[in-house]
Amino acid sequence: MSEETVPLARSPIATDPTVVVAGWEVCARVSTAPLTLSDETPLAKVLVRAPFGGAARDALGVSFGRTARVGLGTAGEVLLVGSAPGEWLALGAPGTAAAIRAALEERLAGTGEFVSVLDLTHGRALVRLHGAAAPVVLAGVCGIDLADHVTPDGTALRTSVAAVVTDLVRDDDGGVRSYLLHCERSSGQYLVDALRDAGSPSGLEVTGFRGLVPSSA
Amino acid sequence: MMLLPCPWCGPRHAGEFRFHGAAGTRPDPATTTPEQWRRYLYVHDNPRGWQTESWYHSAGCRRFLTVERNTLTHEVRSARDTQLDAAPNAAEDAR
Repeated sequence: MSEETVPLARSPIATDPTVVVAGWEVCARVSTAPLTLSDETPLAKVLVRAPFGGAARDALGVSFGRTARVGLGTAGEVLLVGSAPGEWLALGAPGTAAAIRAALEERLAGTGEFVSVLDLTHGRALVRLHGAAAPVVLAGVCGIDLADHVTPDGTALRTSVAAVVTDLVRDDDGGVRSYLLHCERSSGQYLVDALRDAGSPSGLEVTGFRGLVPSSA
Repeated sequence: MMLLPCPWCGPRHAGEFRFHGAAGTRPDPATTTPEQWRRYLYVHDNPRGWQTESWYHSAGCRRFLTVERNTLTHEVRSARDTQLDAAPNAAEDAR
């Protein structure tokens, strides 16, 4: 009998050189530039759909347009994003999608509402644009006012970024501007190319997988 | 550039939306005549001035909106979530 092979997941974003992290082939580059773009596709992504403004929202503790870090027991800490009316996205450590799904289903079971919880990990692309100049890069590809008083840390919105429908989540890391951009898997490579084009005058460099920023950061 | 004031997302570029024509009641397919159905599908008023329209925020909240827009000046008088039309503040309350 042949040796069992472990399946390897690949991001839709082409990277070279690569390294395997938690069963995902990710970029092995390490950049110390002040403005970086990293492929965060290996993060677990779980979508929740439920009636907006109801018991599900109260159970999740996050309203539309905001984010929160929530502990989900064995699934660990997740970034819960109120991405649209009646739609939430939970982002967690790689390989925890099943645990996040189970924890969310358990949490929402008592609401009595029609709720669906779906693992989107392999169907979406996720990148992080990190650095003080991140708003300058985004200003070239999207029409949202990224000023602090309009979109402060913890803001979530969906808009057109380089003509791709993208969830834009401001998730500052240690006081430095940082944005998570979440889109359909098939648009991931194009979105990254568009961001690299827009970011080249600002010195944007590609770096390896960073993972979720812990709440203590 | 035309901005539409989405009740959920705030002012957004019109390119984020899909125009679905003048807002109106869909005739009952069981009782309407073929001619009435044809007129509903293909014959539109196309006024020069204020019109109540249906827009879909495809690149944002993915909700249908009922928008009062002046077709001459592109001025927008109101924009409401179509499903929450009876309760104009429901979007604000649901946040």
